[in-house]
Amino acid sequence: MDADSDVALDILITNVVCVFRTRCHLNLRKIALEGANVIYKRDVGKVLMKLRKPRITATIWSSGRVMCTGATSEEEAKFGARRLARSLQKLGFQVIFTDFKVVNVLAVCNMPFEIRLPEFTKNNRPHASYEPELHPAVCYRIKTLRATLQIFSTGSITVTGPNVKAVASAVEQIYPFVFESRK
Amino acid sequence: FVLLIGAGKTPTLGGGFHANLGKESRAQTLQNGKRQIHHLGNQLQLNQHCLDTAFNFFKMAVSKHLTRGRKMTHVIAACLYLVCRTEGTPHMLLDLSDLLQVNVYVLGKTFLLLARELCINAPAIDPCLYIPRFAHMLEFGDKNHEVSMTALRLLQRMKRDWMHTGRRPSGLCGAALLVAARMHDFRRTVKEVIRVVKVCESTLRKRLTEFEDTPTSQLTIDEFMKIDLEEECDPPSFTAGQKKLKIQQLEKALSKKLEDFEGEISSYQDEIEIELENSRPKAKGVFANFTKDDPIDDSTSSILGEEEAEDEELEAAANHLNKDFYNELHEKDRAKTDEDGKCKNGNEALVRPPALESLLGPLPTAASLGITESIKECISTKDREPGENTGDGELDLSGIDDSEIDRYILNETEAQIKAELWMKENADYLKEQKEKEARIAKEKELGIYKEHKPKKSAKKREPIQASTAGEAIEKMLEQKKISSKINYNVLRDLNSKGSNTPKKEDDSTDDSTNTKKLSRRKSIASRNIANPVNSVGKRLRPLISTQLAKKAATEEAIFPSTQAEAPDLQKPAAVLVESGPVAYNPDEEVEEEEIEDDDDHCMSALQLMGGNGKLGCSLNY
Repeated sequence: MDADSDVALDILITNVVCVFRTRCHLNLRKIALEGANVIYKRDVGKVLMKLRKPRITATIWSSGRVMCTGATSEEEAKFGARRLARSLQKLGFQVIFTDFKVVNVLAVCNMPFEIRLPEFTKNNRPHASYEPELHPAVCYRIKTLRATLQIFSTGSITVTGPNVKAVASAVEQIYPFVFESRK
Repeated sequence: FVLLIGAGKTPTLGGGFHANLGKESRAQTLQNGKRQIHHLGNQLQLNQHCLDTAFNFFKMAVSKHLTRGRKMTHVIAACLYLVCRTEGTPHMLLDLSDLLQVNVYVLGKTFLLLARELCINAPAIDPCLYIPRFAHMLEFGDKNHEVSMTALRLLQRMKRDWMHTGRRPSGLCGAALLVAARMHDFRRTVKEVIRVVKVCESTLRKRLTEFEDTPTSQLTIDEFMKIDLEEECDPPSFTAGQKKLKIQQLEKALSKKLEDFEGEISSYQDEIEIELENSRPKAKGVFANFTKDDPIDDSTSSILGEEEAEDEELEAAANHLNKDFYNELHEKDRAKTDEDGKCKNGNEALVRPPALESLLGPLPTAASLGITESIKECISTKDREPGENTGDGELDLSGIDDSEIDRYILNETEAQIKAELWMKENADYLKEQKEKEARIAKEKELGIYKEHKPKKSAKKREPIQASTAGEAIEKMLEQKKISSKINYNVLRDLNSKGSNTPKKEDDSTDDSTNTKKLSRRKSIASRNIANPVNSVGKRLRPLISTQLAKKAATEEAIFPSTQAEAPDLQKPAAVLVESGPVAYNPDEEVEEEEIEDDDDHCMSALQLMGGNGKLGCSLNY
């Protein structure tokens, strides 16, 4: 039962969330007025700016903190973030691109077999939690990697973690356990 | 404040006070919890053993500080549900949420957290547990047992057929019971079953259709009771997934055929590419590097292409689009005379061809990834300092298409239109904001403006109108929550003493402060009496408010009476767990100076009580 089918498993990254700072106060009103692709949410105090090239949605606060979501890889996230900073620069703000950090990566992976969830939960007691009344998947948390996996009975697994490496190693780790409880 | 000063004056008392408070609070919490557990548990008809276990869980939770920041009711419910699970009683989380009128998922979250923190493994729910309960609710009469048995068999069959993983147990029960009822000639409509089982109609129907798909459904009733089919089915979602996969594979096969044709075309395109490259103006300076990098780019992107998942249709479309775009770019390239522009465009154009080549090459790759790869190359070559982003903060402009970004910025007229649209949409919110500002401005003028922090609004009480001080006190006591730390009998006695002494009018208009106090007192009387002095400790409040109440009621100077009460005050003050009577008055004095409205009022009382000689004497004219 070796996890050698690692190579065959495609882990598809669906979302990468990152944050960065512009180190300058941003006038949300100005951005909202002059940007073509922005939504101004005044009641919560933020501006949503959507880019087309790397398909990215950025949430901009007046303090200068910006959060980008929707990228499909870490590099793309960084690229999109820089693009965004560039467009803010063009709007006239003295933007400095600092503290870029990838905060969350969401990936989906498909196992070629189905999984018996109650059995799996029993074998992995402290880490796995299964409440069929609430959610149809088993929630498995790996503390060391700070990753969470949602395992469905069809064999599809959703992984979230702090970076792509953690996500990949999480899948590697879970494979043998899941293989045990396969149908 | 009060505590600090109190500690200063009587240190031992202060220390003891704190320790006492802590223990009392904990005991109170546990007591409260026990009461709530019993209350809920009785509604669920849990036996005493379960309730005790639940209380134990609760104690553990409290000691681990899990009740902090959570509603007590949620924690209690979670404890009870935990017990239900460990004991295997047929109670659902839904029942608990029904009783409490709380969202199931919120309860579920608390429950999961509790189970995790207390390291208790709740055994998984078996839908079979629910059958007897639901059967009873559906009122099958004598045949109750038989129907339950049939339903159980059905459920077991469902389990073998993989219908039960990841599904709500109640839904499965509902379906099983419905079928079982029909089998025994009971007419139970879907609606009745839903009401009992608490799932949606569509869920029930879905379960029924899934069961229909299994071979077991083809058996007659008698056959079902006797025979058990050997084969097992796949879970329904799995079969649905398999169908999808098949469709995808078909599509792939089709597109592969297309690919063969494309292979021929690509070879021609390669030749065209080479021609175009030669005809393009040479880029200068830094960008010269890129011309060298091209072949490397090409190879890397093509390798990528092999590895990636292929979405043929998308590539064909991207192919088509990119060709047009490339031509456009090329024209732009020739048109620009500005050197910088040229260089940049040259850069872009250089960036594009490798991507295009990889696209048109033997193995089609995802267009976007091809481009980003080559851009990555550009970035890496342009980077002078490796870790510059972290230190410098300078924006790295490589690979960023300024012209496209310019398109994102609206011009004047567009900005105006957008502003109008936004104003219209958010009109309500803006109106609210304006009103708020107007209100604040008005209050500021009047000098009443307070920084309103978001907190629970204090209960507004009517001003007490009573003819005697005694009545006033009674009414006030009714309104206000009774504190266990005040001896109300003593207060009442105080009052009786007060009413005996002659009530003297406050004639002294000379003493401006006095008149001020009086007038303010009258104005305060019309206001809420129960609104206590804010900064003074809670325990002092009832006392002061009683004083206020009395004064309001009489509307006369009861300074002499209060003076006479000063010694009596020592007694109630002694009843207070707080600092001793001696400390009481100066405490107030110190504080009152800082408080706003009621302050002056209290100061008057204070001064009367504390600073005996002056005012009391002056009013005794």
